[in-house]
Amino acid sequence: MTSLAPGGATAATGPDPQEPARTAKPRKPGAKTPLGQVLFWLMLGVLSLIFLAPLLWMVSTSFKTPEASTSLELSWIPQPWDVSAYQTLFSAGSANPVLRWFFNSMFSAAVNAILIVAVDACAAYALARMDFPGKKLIFTTVITTIFLPSFVFLIPNFLIVSQLGWLDSLWAIIVPSAGGAFGVFFLRQFFSTLPKELEEAAIIDGANQWKIFIKVILPLSRPALSTLAVLSFLTNWNDFLWPVYVLFSPETQTLPSGLAKLQNAATVNYPIIMAGAVVASVPVIMIFIIAQRQVIESVSRSGLKG
Amino acid sequence: MNQLNVPLSRRGFMGAAGAVGGALALAACGGKSTPPGAGAGPTASGAGTAYNGPNVTLAFWNGWTGADGDYAKQMVSQFNSETKNVKVNMNVFQWADFFQKMPAAVTSGNGPDIAVMHIDAIPTQAAQRVIVPIDAVANSLKLNQGDYAEAVWQGGIYKDQRYGIPIDVHCLGLFYNKDVFEKAGLDPEKPPTNKDEYMAALEAMKSKGIQGSWVSPFQFTGGLMYQSLLWQFGGELFNEDVSKATWDSEGGIAALTFMTDLVKNGYSPKNVGQDADYVALKNGRNALNWQGIWQVNEVTKLTTTKIGLAELPKIGEKGGVWGNSHQFVLPRTQGSDENKVNAAAYFVNWFTQNSADWAKSGKVPAVESLAESSEFTSIEGLQPFAKEVPDVHFPPAVAGISDAMTAMYDAVNAAVLGKSDPASALRSAANKASQILAQNKKKYG
Amino acid sequence: MTSTTEATAVERPPARSTGRRRRRSGWATPYLFLAPYGVLFIGFILAPAIYGIWISLHDYNYLLPNQPWAGLNNYFDLFKSGSRDGADFWRSIRATAIFTVFSVPLLVVIPLAIAMLLNRKFPGRTFFRAVFFTPYVLGVAVVGVLFRFLLDPTIGMLNFYLEKLGFAGDYPWTTQVPWAWVGLVGMTVWWTLGFNAIIYLAGLQDISPELYEAAEVDGATAWDKFRNVTLPGLRPVLLFVLTLTLLASANMFGQSYLITKGAPENSTRTAIYYISQVGLQQYRQGVAAAMSYILALMLILISLLNFRLFREKEES
Repeated sequence: MTSLAPGGATAATGPDPQEPARTAKPRKPGAKTPLGQVLFWLMLGVLSLIFLAPLLWMVSTSFKTPEASTSLELSWIPQPWDVSAYQTLFSAGSANPVLRWFFNSMFSAAVNAILIVAVDACAAYALARMDFPGKKLIFTTVITTIFLPSFVFLIPNFLIVSQLGWLDSLWAIIVPSAGGAFGVFFLRQFFSTLPKELEEAAIIDGANQWKIFIKVILPLSRPALSTLAVLSFLTNWNDFLWPVYVLFSPETQTLPSGLAKLQNAATVNYPIIMAGAVVASVPVIMIFIIAQRQVIESVSRSGLKG
Repeated sequence: MNQLNVPLSRRGFMGAAGAVGGALALAACGGKSTPPGAGAGPTASGAGTAYNGPNVTLAFWNGWTGADGDYAKQMVSQFNSETKNVKVNMNVFQWADFFQKMPAAVTSGNGPDIAVMHIDAIPTQAAQRVIVPIDAVANSLKLNQGDYAEAVWQGGIYKDQRYGIPIDVHCLGLFYNKDVFEKAGLDPEKPPTNKDEYMAALEAMKSKGIQGSWVSPFQFTGGLMYQSLLWQFGGELFNEDVSKATWDSEGGIAALTFMTDLVKNGYSPKNVGQDADYVALKNGRNALNWQGIWQVNEVTKLTTTKIGLAELPKIGEKGGVWGNSHQFVLPRTQGSDENKVNAAAYFVNWFTQNSADWAKSGKVPAVESLAESSEFTSIEGLQPFAKEVPDVHFPPAVAGISDAMTAMYDAVNAAVLGKSDPASALRSAANKASQILAQNKKKYG
Repeated sequence: MTSTTEATAVERPPARSTGRRRRRSGWATPYLFLAPYGVLFIGFILAPAIYGIWISLHDYNYLLPNQPWAGLNNYFDLFKSGSRDGADFWRSIRATAIFTVFSVPLLVVIPLAIAMLLNRKFPGRTFFRAVFFTPYVLGVAVVGVLFRFLLDPTIGMLNFYLEKLGFAGDYPWTTQVPWAWVGLVGMTVWWTLGFNAIIYLAGLQDISPELYEAAEVDGATAWDKFRNVTLPGLRPVLLFVLTLTLLASANMFGQSYLITKGAPENSTRTAIYYISQVGLQQYRQGVAAAMSYILALMLILISLLNFRLFREKEES
C-alpha cells in the first residue's frame, strides 16, 4: 500500500482547488519529506486533541462525585476520586442487571450484524452483478425506502412484532432492522467497483454463480463486509428508541434502554451517565480495534491490472 | 429469553410475512389490533384493606428512574416480604418514554396490572382507554375528599369518573444560596417573601456583581416559574370550559414581563441554558432559583455551599405554585382478573398508607394527615413545599391538554430569549392553543 | 431514479457472450440470491411503509376505538396557512435544511481527509483510528448531555476557555441562532465523523496500488493522484457516503432535542423532532405519517439530483 504524499490530503481537501502543486518532480514511491512529516504529525496531533478532549472529560466526570461533576471550577482530574457511579452500575442488583443488559446488547447486535451481512451480501451481489427481469424495479423500490424516516415504521412494526409474539424478546431487536436497505445499497456500491475480469475468468472455468460469489466476490470484499458488520453492530448497539417500545422486563433490556433506568428523571446525574457510557463503549472500541485489522488488510489481487 | 430457543426457521420468516398480511388486513378494517376491553374494577366488598385471594403476581410500572426508584424499590420489597399472597414486580422506564411505551404495551396485551402516572396525563390516557375508571377501588379504600387538598382530589377525575388515586404532590419552591446572601449582606435565614423583598435582595446582589435570579427559557423550570407567576398575578391558563387559552390576559402578560425584566435589568444573564440556572445556584453564581422539590435531596447533601429552601415568594397579590402529582392508575387489561384487581387495590392502599416513606424521595404525601405526621415533618427541607400545597394548581382535566400547554412553553422561550415581546408571544400562543383545544375536543370528545 | 442509479455503478455493460453462459445457473438464481433479504424487506420495511401511507390517510391514533378517514387532508393541511401544523412543519423543514446544508459537506470532506491520513502506515495508526472512531460508539443520549454541558452559554467549558483566550466568552451556543447551528453542526461532525471515515477506509482498500505506482512513474503530484486515482476509484463509495450523510442529517433529531430543545422559538426544531412530537406526544400518527412522506419525497428529489450529478461527472 503506497501512502499518499505527505500533505496530499490537505491539498486535496483545501478550500481552494487551485492549490498549486508543490512539486512536479517525480518522486520514488514511499519517499517522505521531513516537512511533510512534521505537517502530518501536527495535523494528526491537533485533530486528536479536539477529538480526545470531550472524551477525556467524559471519563473524568465518571469518576467524580455528583457535586463535583457540575462544579464550575473546571478540573480535569477528579477531586476526590469517586467510583460510586460504577458501583451503582454494577451493584444495582436484580432490578438492574447491567451485565445481563450488556449480554443482551452484545448478542443482539452481533446476531443482527451477521444476519445483515449474510442476507445483504446475497441480495447486493444479485443487484450488482446479474441481469434479470425486474431488477431495476426491485433496486429502485429498495433504495426508495432508505428515504423514509424511521418514524414511519415504528407503529406498523410494533403491531407486526406484536403479532409475531416477539414483544419482550430479543427477536424484536435482532430481526426487523435486518430488512433495512442500507447494507444492500452499501454492498452493491462496493461490489460494482470490483473488476469484472475475475468473474469472467471463473465463468470460463465453468464455475456457477454461487461458486463465484463464495470463492471470488466474498474474499475480495472483506473490507466492505467487515465494515458493514461493524456499522450494523453499532447501529443496533446504540438504538434506544425501538427497544423502548418492544422490551418490557428488566432482564430483556438492552444497554441503552437499561442504563436509562439509572438516571433520575428531573436531575442530571452526570457521573452515572458518563460511567454508563464508558462501560458501554470500551468493549465496542476493543471490537473495533480487532475488526479494523480485517478492513486494513490489503486485498491481494494477483494478476490483475486495475 | 426463552423465546430465543425458537429456531430462526423458514417458519419464522413465513410467520413474519403472514403477520404483515394480518396487519394489513387489520388496517383495512380500521387498524385496530385489539378488541376494546371493558374497564375493570374490584367488585368484592372489603377489597383494598385486605387481600385473601389466591397468590397473584402484579406487574407494577412507573417512571421512577434513578434515586426515586430506589425508594420505591425498597417499599415494594418491604410489601413483598409482608404480604404472602401478593408479589409485586416493579418495572421502571424514563417518564419521557413512559407515555409512548405504556399505551403500546397495554394495546398489545402486555401492559402492567397497576401503574403510576402524572395527574396531567390521566385525562389523555383515560380518553385513549389506556387506563380504566378506578372508582370501585377508591370506594373500597374509603378514600375521602377531606383527606386531600382540593386540587389533588379533583385532578384524578375525568368526565365524572375517578381514574387516579393520589400518592404525592411535587411542586416548585424557592431555592436560595445562603453563601451568596451573606456575601451580599443579606440575612441567610430570611429569604424574600414578596416582590419588594425579592427586588431589594436582587439589587443588593447586583451591587456585589452577582446576577441573583437566573431565568430559564425552558419548561424546566422557566415554564413552571411562569405558570406560578401567572396564578400569582390573578391569571388563568384556560377559561372555565377549557375552550380557550387565557394566558394572554393581563395577569399572564404581567407574569412573563416580570421574567423578561429580570433579564433586561441584568438580574439574570441573557442566554440561560437548560439546567444552567440550577448549576449556577449550586456554584454560587446564581442566588434565587424557582426550582422543583425533586432537587431537595441533592442540595441538602452539598458540601461546598449551603442552599436554603423556602416557599415561593408572592410576587403577585396571591399564592400560586406550579405542581404535579403522582397517582395510581389501573391499566386496561385484555381480560379483567378480579383477583389481580383486588390485590392491586390492596397494594395501592398499602403504598398510600406508607407514603411518608415515599416522601423521602423528595415529595409531599397527598394525604394531609400523613403530611402532618412526625414521620414526614422530620424530613429535612420538605416542609416549605408542604405548606405550599393549598396554593398548588394543576392543569384542567382535559384530554390532550399538554398539546395546548406546549404553545405556552414556546411563548416563554421566545420572550425570555428576547425573540418576541411577552404580550405578542403570549397572544399568538394562546390563539394557537385555542385552535388545538377545539381540535382535541373533536378528537377525544 | 431507475436509470440514474444504474449509471452510478462504475461498470461496463456485461459482455453479451457471458450473458449466455450465465444461463448455466438458471433463471431463478438471482431471485434465490434475493430471497432471504426479500422476506425481511417485505415484512419489516415495505409492508410497514405501505401501511404508513394508509395511516397518513386517516386521523389515526391507534389507541382510539375508531380511525376516521381523512383522505388527503393531512397532506393538504400542511400547505394551508393558519392550519395547526402548517407553519410549524415548514419551519422545522427549514431547520432540517439549514442543518443539512452545513453538515453534509463537512461530513463528506473531513472524514475523507482523515481516512487518507489514517490509510498511511505510521506508528500508532490503530490508536488514532480508534480515537476518531470512538465518539460514534457513544449513543446520542450521552453525546447530547455531554455537549449541552460543554456548550452552555453561561457556564459551559467552551466559553470558559474562549474567554481565557481573550474572546467574549458568552456565545449562546445552545440558545440563539446562528450560534446554535454552529454548536449542533460542530458536535455532529465530532460525533459521526468516524462512521464515514471507516467507510472511506474500506473504499480506499479497494483501489489497486498499481494505479498509484503507475501514476508515480508518470511523475504525478499528490494532487494529481488524488484527482485521477483516488476520486474515480472512490466514486461509488462517495455517492454512497453522500446519500447516507444526507439522510442522516435530514433525520437529525436527538441533538436538537437534547441540546437546544428547539430554542430559540423552535428555530432549531428539526423535521423529525417535530414529527415525533406530533406522532408520539400528541398521538396524531396520521399527521405525523403525512409529514414523514413529504419529507421523504423531498429527500428523494434531492438524491435524484445527486445521482444525476454523479452520472454527468462520469460522462464528462
